Amino acid sequence: MIGLEHYLVVAAVLFVTGLFGIFLNRKNVIIILMSIELILLAVNINLVSFSVHLQDLVGQVFAMFVLTVAAAEAAIGLAILVCFFRNRKSISVDDVSLLKG
Amino acid sequence: MFPSDLTTILPELVLATYGLAALIWAVFSNTQKTGTALVWLTSIFLVGLSLWIGLATTGTKQAFGGAFVDDGFSRFAKVVIALSSAVVLLLSRDYLEKERILKFEFPILVVFAVLGMMIMVSAQGLMVLYMGIELQSLSLYVLAAFHRNHSKSTEAGLKYFVLGALSSGLLLYGASLTYGFSGTTLMSGISEAISDGETSVGLLFGLAFLIVGLAFKVSAAPFHMWAPDVYEGSPTPVTLFLATAPKVAAMILFARLLMEAFGPVADDWQLIVGGIAFVSMFLGSIAAIGQIDIKRLMAYSSIAHMGYALMGIASGTEKGFQAMLIYMVIYTIMNLGTFAFILSMRKGGRPVSDIYSLGMYSRQAPIQAFSLLLLMFSLAGIVPLIGFFAKLYVFLAVIEVGMYWLALGGAIASVIGAYYYLRLVYLMYFGEEGESLDDDMTRTSLITLVLSGVFVIVGVANLFGIIDFSQAATGMLFN
Amino acid sequence: MLFTLIFYFFSLLVIGSGLMVVFSRNPVHAVLWLILAFLSAAGLFVIQGAEFIAMLLIIVYVGAVAVLFLFVVMMLDVDFATLKAGMARYIPLGLLIGAVFVMILGIELSEWNSSGIAPDLRQAIEPDNVQNTEALGNVIYTEYVFLFQIAGLILLVAMIGAIVLTHRKREGVKKQDVVSQMYRDSAKSVSLEDVPSGKGLS
Repeated sequence: MIGLEHYLVVAAVLFVTGLFGIFLNRKNVIIILMSIELILLAVNINLVSFSVHLQDLVGQVFAMFVLTVAAAEAAIGLAILVCFFRNRKSISVDDVSLLKG
Repeated sequence: MFPSDLTTILPELVLATYGLAALIWAVFSNTQKTGTALVWLTSIFLVGLSLWIGLATTGTKQAFGGAFVDDGFSRFAKVVIALSSAVVLLLSRDYLEKERILKFEFPILVVFAVLGMMIMVSAQGLMVLYMGIELQSLSLYVLAAFHRNHSKSTEAGLKYFVLGALSSGLLLYGASLTYGFSGTTLMSGISEAISDGETSVGLLFGLAFLIVGLAFKVSAAPFHMWAPDVYEGSPTPVTLFLATAPKVAAMILFARLLMEAFGPVADDWQLIVGGIAFVSMFLGSIAAIGQIDIKRLMAYSSIAHMGYALMGIASGTEKGFQAMLIYMVIYTIMNLGTFAFILSMRKGGRPVSDIYSLGMYSRQAPIQAFSLLLLMFSLAGIVPLIGFFAKLYVFLAVIEVGMYWLALGGAIASVIGAYYYLRLVYLMYFGEEGESLDDDMTRTSLITLVLSGVFVIVGVANLFGIIDFSQAATGMLFN
Repeated sequence: MLFTLIFYFFSLLVIGSGLMVVFSRNPVHAVLWLILAFLSAAGLFVIQGAEFIAMLLIIVYVGAVAVLFLFVVMMLDVDFATLKAGMARYIPLGLLIGAVFVMILGIELSEWNSSGIAPDLRQAIEPDNVQNTEALGNVIYTEYVFLFQIAGLILLVAMIGAIVLTHRKREGVKKQDVVSQMYRDSAKSVSLEDVPSGKGLS
């Protein structure tokens, strides 16, 4: 029988994958942006599973807003990335690194 | 239900309407002067708004089923946020004009960021909290990259964006676990669910993720790594903005979330927050010593100051929260004064931020140098100035609850931190004289600098009544 | 039994494609894996009975966000091979940390206890005999209208931000100006000239 816990574990694995992707691809900003989308997807799986488990709609409403904000975030992130690329001709954050990290 | 909801959120509604109207007007009358006019208009509007919030409303009103609250605590924060943002706008005009990036979008994005912060400080539910944070953060990401032809500024924007989005993700994961435990996103409901029975490990994980997410937002160590880069790279007015209003908003949010939602497990978070405060104070003080860029230095300084303010929260008492509010107000005013000076640091018309360019500045401009000296002494927490009293309050608050290690750590860190503030003063009065700074400080900057210099001395008398206000504000939270 | 199989199918697909997003060498492939991850997550939502979110996920992510990613990946002429260069060194340690973290979360989440009074604290109890979409529609424009409006403002800020950062005014581009076209009439634009023979007009 598939219960709430199964979904939570899937979400946890996805969440860790996302975190992992950010730290592993520290140079490649596009993959970092995609990893952030994975983290938000994990959050959405969590929210929807809790919502179904509790028979409460709030979780699904929350997931909808997370989705909306994630779309806005992707737009802003890619806009900043395009700007950065125009100045640098590269999307690597570490290269040259005018600002030391 | 609905009409009373609308009257509760009236200040936010008015601000949103202003932002939209200003946007439409600016798009249709897009000339050279639009940006300048909008900066003036917006700052006047924000001052008016803060007066209205501060004077006209009283009591505690909830809206939207308890997800949004208008109480003394949030009003206190809103007044500080709106006023400091107005001053930021006034100070930035000159810099933005000289750098030719005064587009009308700047004040409009500031308006939406302020709106997001006002929603943050009023949030009493995890959903409203998240939406407020995102409205504020998205505006700030764009502002950090505002100098779009400048590779440092876009890099700052990118770094801020990546780490900001990551912290939002962590915060959300925590929020989802908390929701799963308590079945509600309202803070009142969460605290009810916690005090009902035994807490589960899942909830504590949720709490931990929420704390980490918010620690990112207030740039407390060990989640501070974005701050120095972003402070250095962003256009200086944006750095000033980042250092003031968003910090206040995030700190207030932090306090409210821990107290109202997780009050019953205070023992668990007091230690975590205390630890974060401890690390921040030391890291901010020690890492700043080697910095030669004044904006980077101010970033580390703000990390350390966030540590002191978090001490107030760690105490978990009414007195501690009050001390935190006082600390944030004093911190904001000192930063406004210091940045008023940093904004006008130019050599041959180009902005500089190297601290060695301050060499023998006292000979060139004694009034400015003396005001800056007062501010630096106050930031360092040297005795009769107001910065000392700000620290004293938080120390007293943690000593009262028996966290002596935290108070002792704070005292040691502030002694270490005093070194780099005093080094700036040393450079101004005894440093090597090099090519001198341009002598064209604007009147707004000069007035802000001198006034904040006066504030750190005169304010000691009664802190301009901030104590009373903060007492009233926290009193409502704890009753 | 069938549900169990479908669950394992979709969840393995989500996790697998999530890993491929992180590890794939080609960013275009990464975007495609991301799309697969979202589609299979939508499948998970469908078997849980949250159809509306599932459809939204497909429309918003696959339709808009992933296309935006693809667009940017293809627009920016980036040499991705060099970006991946230093990565291999961190993989073993990273995998270890990741595995430990997953195990901690897994142990902790393998038995979830909600608070005893959670059912009483619910704010929007799922009504019986009402479709998922309709039930969501009933609350989102009433109880959550405030959040709905903030979401609108967030999207507005995203729009302003994208325009401010990337819009460039190009000089010398010929554009159609409809208003000036409409205000043009024969009296101003056509003139009758009397051309003298053998001389022409200058």
